[in-house]
Amino acid sequence: MSELIKFDGLKDMAALLELLPERKKRMKQASAEPQTGDAMAALARALHPDIQRLVIADVRQEAAGARVFRLVPDKESGTAAPAVFRAGQYLSLKIDISGVRVARPYSISSSPADAADGGFYEITIRKKDGGFLSEHAWKEWRVGTRIEASGPAGFFCVEPLRDARHIVGLAGGSGITPFRSMLKDIVETGADVKFTLLYGVNRPDEIMFKNDLESFAAQAPDRISVHFVCCEPDAAWCGPTGFLTADSIRKLAGDPAGKSFFICGPQAMYSFLETELKQFDLPKRRIRREVFGETADVSAHPDYPADAAGKSFSMTVHCGSETTVIPAKASESALVALERAGIAPPSECRSGECGFCASILMNGKVFVIPETDRRRLAAKKFDVFHPCSSYPVSDIEVKVPLDKG
Amino acid sequence: MAEGKKAKLGGACDVVIIGAGNGGLAAALALAVRGAKPLVLEQHNAPGGFATSFVRGRFEFEAALHELSSIGPENNKGGVRRFLEDEGGVDIDWVPIPEAYRVILTDSGMDARLPFGEAPFIDAIEEKVPGSREPLTRYFALCREVSGALGLLAKTASNPSPKRIIKDLKKFVAESADPFDDARRNTSNVVTFLRTLPKTVDEVTLKMGIPPKAVDLLYPYWCYLGIPMSRMNFTIWAAMLIDYIDYGAWIPRLRSQEMSYAIEARVRELGGRVEYNTRVDRVLVERGRVKGVVTASGETIKTSAVIANTSPTQLYGSLVSPASESPAAALRNVNSRKLGGAGFVVYLGLDVSPVELGVNDYGYFISKTMDTDAVYGSMEKLDLVDMQATICLNNAIPDCSPPGTTIISMTTLYKPGVWDSVKPKEYAALKNRIADAMITQFDDALGTDIRSRVEEIEVATPATFARYARSFNGGIYGYELDPWDSIIPRILSEKDESYIKGLEVAGGFATMGHGFSSSLISGRSAGLKTLAGLGG
Ligand SMILES: Cc1cc2nc3c(=O)[nH]c(=O)nc-3n(C[C@H](O)[C@H](O)[C@H](O)COP(=O)(O)OP(=O)(O)OC[C@H]3O[C@@H](n4cnc5c(N)ncnc54)[C@H](O)[C@@H]3O)c2cc1C
Ligand code: FES
Repeated sequence: MSELIKFDGLKDMAALLELLPERKKRMKQASAEPQTGDAMAALARALHPDIQRLVIADVRQEAAGARVFRLVPDKESGTAAPAVFRAGQYLSLKIDISGVRVARPYSISSSPADAADGGFYEITIRKKDGGFLSEHAWKEWRVGTRIEASGPAGFFCVEPLRDARHIVGLAGGSGITPFRSMLKDIVETGADVKFTLLYGVNRPDEIMFKNDLESFAAQAPDRISVHFVCCEPDAAWCGPTGFLTADSIRKLAGDPAGKSFFICGPQAMYSFLETELKQFDLPKRRIRREVFGETADVSAHPDYPADAAGKSFSMTVHCGSETTVIPAKASESALVALERAGIAPPSECRSGECGFCASILMNGKVFVIPETDRRRLAAKKFDVFHPCSSYPVSDIEVKVPLDKG
Repeated sequence: MAEGKKAKLGGACDVVIIGAGNGGLAAALALAVRGAKPLVLEQHNAPGGFATSFVRGRFEFEAALHELSSIGPENNKGGVRRFLEDEGGVDIDWVPIPEAYRVILTDSGMDARLPFGEAPFIDAIEEKVPGSREPLTRYFALCREVSGALGLLAKTASNPSPKRIIKDLKKFVAESADPFDDARRNTSNVVTFLRTLPKTVDEVTLKMGIPPKAVDLLYPYWCYLGIPMSRMNFTIWAAMLIDYIDYGAWIPRLRSQEMSYAIEARVRELGGRVEYNTRVDRVLVERGRVKGVVTASGETIKTSAVIANTSPTQLYGSLVSPASESPAAALRNVNSRKLGGAGFVVYLGLDVSPVELGVNDYGYFISKTMDTDAVYGSMEKLDLVDMQATICLNNAIPDCSPPGTTIISMTTLYKPGVWDSVKPKEYAALKNRIADAMITQFDDALGTDIRSRVEEIEVATPATFARYARSFNGGIYGYELDPWDSIIPRILSEKDESYIKGLEVAGGFATMGHGFSSSLISGRSAGLKTLAGLGG
């Protein structure tokens, strides 16, 4: 076999032997300076910092029940500039409230240019009765309060390689926040898209960013149009009224064919609009919506095992080398139970999507809301679950990850 | 959270493995099946490193894997499958890839579909380029001899004398029932092996009288090694070619994430521990010996053995602590080596079936030309690269996405450093511009229209790989396999280049080079070496 190809054996052997001295020589000549970092790690950190330490620079009221918090880098704590983001993304804020560490996602309502050139983010929080973080924020947050945030996250962004050139935004309630960022971005970058925003509110005084949105439309009249739609109009209201329905959408945004629809609002609005938009017979790629957030009443889900409702279970938690047993209510996500017990695994979206909270279900059963089950196939096969969107329906034993850092 | 409540990892352990990528998991498995209880620390929130997947909308995308070599069918298992299944007891649902590849060369208009198996492979080339059969048959015989002998060298005591190599090879032929010992089947090949050892692929291939157009059809796998054929070592190439053609190529049914979760679950079942969100910032070394590791949260874990599933560049450049314990020789070693390619991938979920699209093959190599030097040159600019390696997952696993949809992922490579000057602000627009051009590159080559059917799109760049897998500068191809730094010289220098006691490297930057199979194999051997060091 070795005759198949003719080689000069001795010469070849010599060549092999040259490779090793060459290797030695190259290593001898190389620098002994350690490479302590690399450009891609630096770029990744700039785009996706684990943590951004921010401080409130301004608080302003925006319509009834909503406040805008302007966040700037807390330079003393080492965050130099806000990370670049895409309009539509959110920050996960990590807050200690009387010894309990919780996290909540908030869409960034300011624009990418505000972060890049102005050095700030704005988030807009709507007060929710009994809301754990929102009530705390309203009571305690003022200029100078320090806030820890994740890097920008989420996928509710316009993507030119996927979306139509004409986008219809359907906003409800505090779901207006990412759209404010998108419209401001279109004005500031001159992006070549058309955007029709339909903003549904209950009462006229709930409209957030009324002046801003109108001014964006005035600055780019050929690209941006904004319509407010009110359910319970007062005497002075002269715009469209009622819910956002297939009819009103068609009337205000024109023929739906060839357009992309972006939806962000309360959970009830998602289910309502899902039915309405069916009438348009659009391909799935033309409808995008922001994630749900935590489910308000899991027991209302048609698949929920009725006998678990209202119960309380025990949860055995392995975290690092420690094991604790904590209570877990059927009505609250496993993540809330963990947070209440002072165990704070990482979380970002709190909607089952990002995988940050991924844990192992070693024993027992949880109810995972099928609509928010974004686990990988292999994760399901190997009993990985996302506590933020899973609800105990028996005593459970879990292994949860340590929080970073 | 109150400091006192912070859960800890627990003081000390026998072996700490930094990173749950292919190399780290394989090392953990090799150790755990032999009774050791490794502690695996992973900075991300899931196992796998590159062996992972992610969900967007109704699609689950494979992050990295195109195909695994050395798996083979149930009745003819390759080395990696024997390690995972027979030795490791890891159960994975392996799916065969239907064909070797479709190659489309846009400059010459060449378009061919090549099957696995030597005879069908040669037949297919003969059909496109008559007159290829005879030289290709000789070529495969040669590759077979060389590939047969390679496995042996992987276990020789590293001593760069040819006499010793021959002696070691003979010894290994006689001994050892190791799962990687494919070479035992074919032992008459030591001389051919030694003769071709220092040659490049071009030096051997271009002398064999294979028509140039047939060489074009033979060469596409070059991009898995990522170095032009004028510099790629022939031995490694021959081994890879034979492995693919003989064993075929395979993927886990639930993406490579199935493999990483399966290994992880098995390691835990055997008493090992795996912790996520736990970055190791320092490897403590004292007088040339490993003493422990320190995590990002400041916890110290005492250990005498560490397996690093990282690049040695990061290991000696920033992990070894104190820095004075990083030997100058180790630093010169890593600084002398060139980094392999950095990855760029466009993931597409399309709302149309593969049949309607006209995308009927699994693996596509679409390239301007098979002039590998020219294509490699195009990886130097921050622009469209001349070649893309593209897979359509549905053509191996039809139900990998909902009916009436298709998953396509397009991969290309950049030379390290090309992305270094990219600013965060221009990042999103840049990756879209390149993704856009790659979609056009694909549509033009196949005459398809995937562009107008995009339901989900995600783009991974070198920064993405640096983020999720902490790979050095976004590299996915380890150190470049230049002739002096290809696998043979590495094996022969292994002993000389071991710098710290108790410290081993596993994964794509280790001796066996990059790629899923190589990383798994290097992980296994790092596990075995560590075990020997523990006196186990
Ligand atoms: C992607 C995304 C973007 C969003 N953007 C915005 C936005 O721009 N603006 C906006 O206003 N909202 C936004 N939200 C919603 C927001 O994240 C919060 O859900 C909302 O502010 C309510 O949070 P809360 O803590 O006030 O109330 P909840 O979380 O609903 O409080 C629930 C209940 O649980 C109890 N509870 C919860 N955790 C604990 C604990 N650890 N210990 C004790 N008790 C506990 C509370 O007492 C309360 O009774 C967004 C959500 C998502 C998913
Ligand atoms: S926090 Fe995102 S999946 Fe749970």
